[in-house]
Amino acid sequence: MDFNPCMKHKVVRKAVRMFAETELGPIARDIDRDARFPWEVVEKMRPLHFFGLQAPKAFGGAEMDSISYAITIEEISRVSAAVGLCLTVHNSVGIYPIERFGTEEQKRRFLPAMTRGERIGAFCLTEANAGSDAGGVETIAVRDGKDFVINGTKIFVTNGGICGTSLIFAITDPQNPQRSAGVFIVEKDTPGFSVGEIEDLCGMRANPVSSLFLEDCRVPETNLLGCPGDGLKIGLVTLDTGRLGIAAQALGLAQAAFEDSVRYSKERQQFRKPISSFQTIQNYLADMATEIDAARLLCYRACAVKDAGRPFGAEAAMAKLYCSATATRVTNLAVQIHGGYGYSKEYDVERYFRDAKVTEIYEGTSEVQRMVIARAVLAQRT
Amino acid sequence: MLKMVVCIKQVPMASELPWDPATGTLLRDLAEGMINPACRSALEAALRIKAAEGGEITAITMGPPMAEEVLHEAIALGADRGVLLTDRKMAGADTGVTSYTLARAIEKVCPGFDLILCGFATSDSETAQVGPQLAEELAIPGVVYVDEIEVCGRTIRMQRRSDNFLETLEMDLPGLITVTTGVHALHHVPLGGLQAAFDEADILFLAAEELGLDPERIGVKGSATRILNVYSPTAAKKNLVLTGAPKRIVEQLFERFGDKLGGAIGKDLKTGKRS
Repeated sequence: MDFNPCMKHKVVRKAVRMFAETELGPIARDIDRDARFPWEVVEKMRPLHFFGLQAPKAFGGAEMDSISYAITIEEISRVSAAVGLCLTVHNSVGIYPIERFGTEEQKRRFLPAMTRGERIGAFCLTEANAGSDAGGVETIAVRDGKDFVINGTKIFVTNGGICGTSLIFAITDPQNPQRSAGVFIVEKDTPGFSVGEIEDLCGMRANPVSSLFLEDCRVPETNLLGCPGDGLKIGLVTLDTGRLGIAAQALGLAQAAFEDSVRYSKERQQFRKPISSFQTIQNYLADMATEIDAARLLCYRACAVKDAGRPFGAEAAMAKLYCSATATRVTNLAVQIHGGYGYSKEYDVERYFRDAKVTEIYEGTSEVQRMVIARAVLAQRT
Repeated sequence: MLKMVVCIKQVPMASELPWDPATGTLLRDLAEGMINPACRSALEAALRIKAAEGGEITAITMGPPMAEEVLHEAIALGADRGVLLTDRKMAGADTGVTSYTLARAIEKVCPGFDLILCGFATSDSETAQVGPQLAEELAIPGVVYVDEIEVCGRTIRMQRRSDNFLETLEMDLPGLITVTTGVHALHHVPLGGLQAAFDEADILFLAAEELGLDPERIGVKGSATRILNVYSPTAAKKNLVLTGAPKRIVEQLFERFGDKLGGAIGKDLKTGKRS
């Protein structure tokens, strides 16, 4: 067992950190304040394969391993978690389901524009009455000859305001929602597809999260991923992968808050000493460092299990559960260490604090992660 | 097709440079490595020539096994292959020995080269000696501190700043140039290229024996330079409080700093005349 990062992972981290610090660093605070998605940075990310991190080379991807993928998301999120969110959603729940479950024709038709970053992906499961309960989806796709006609409303769609290709979770038989669920690929220029207002959220403000409306939205049957009824399976596998990305994103946030806290505690003087010399602050820093390290190991372990081709659902759930809880705790402590300044928009830690909370909610709440983990534990042990 | 060689040195990352505050020395074991910024500019210059004229780029570095990193990065950016000269016997080389070692390696792995590009200096030692010495070792012409390069057949035309002048020079190939920083924006490393650079990179590892080098002429043994001490100069600030009536304070200020203030605004404060 080797816990040292290999040379490739070190170089990937350096390369992404350099990009994030030079291109996103100067604007991260502004795009959060203005709730603005930074298209100018997307422009620079496109030729560097940020929009096809793990996609096959044949479709324009970088074909990275999962740990390199996690490191990339972590380093982007360390500077701007909202942009990290765009990337992880696009790559893991936008591209991956098409790559894994799509036909050759579907891959050829949809993947190149997505890996080039011309069409940003979104995965649309959540509705007013469905989220953790995927069986509660009411969006319906009715077959009409060789087409499906889709009607419904999706809410809290990450990348909603910027997506070019969205994967819509819909049922085909209201009498049997669980068994008739399917995932439909819907492009933004399809008549009947429209974007709702951008949500005014607590954190991740540079990511345009929105509702999506489907009104008699007609797509050819060749836009259905897998077979009718495969929806739930595709959804579950997709979310397992998505959780690795969210774990990495939470890790990046925690790392940023930790680094700022160490720096600040050495600079800030109280009682004529840097506050880092006080045991209470040292305890905070020690807890932060320990939790981040544990979270990182869980995250990379889940990635390694995935790359070894073994089932990784429980590992991904553990990583997501622990990394997101770590991000919330660490960013909370970071604000505490910064005192009044930490609560001010003059410093970044308040942004990290706002951004962190949602990592415990999206792509499966912490409660859902525990459910997944408990199921695995109970199935393994007598 | 131009055959180019880019010499790269791995240096400690400036932003994460850990110093021991007690001794003022660099804690090299803790430092992350990176491509020396000027070497990165040299690589950028080579990549621009390759994009415009075609050509082949060999990235070469001498260093510990960890220096392999910078070759993968160079290949991800567009170099065609990498050569790592690594051997404990080569360690501790001064600039003269480094140039000798690099020269013999280039002759072996890149015979018939057209253009060698180096950074003008390295951020960790700043001697600016390896480039010119390498040209001497290879008995080829060399031009240092180059900003702009244009290839015209078997000749290259270069621009460089020299004090207040802009020089335009021409050199027949084969030749060597050292490149300054900050002239061209650097490309970011493409992630697909990086993955490929680790999956299928062409990197050649060479030790002293394989290069047939005279063991007396390499490493710390062959080096004439002895580094006696490296330390971070301490910058101390001292506050000076001027006291007395405002008029007296201003007078004191001019007495002490009049020449500096006058120099800054281009005026002799005693006579009131513009200098």
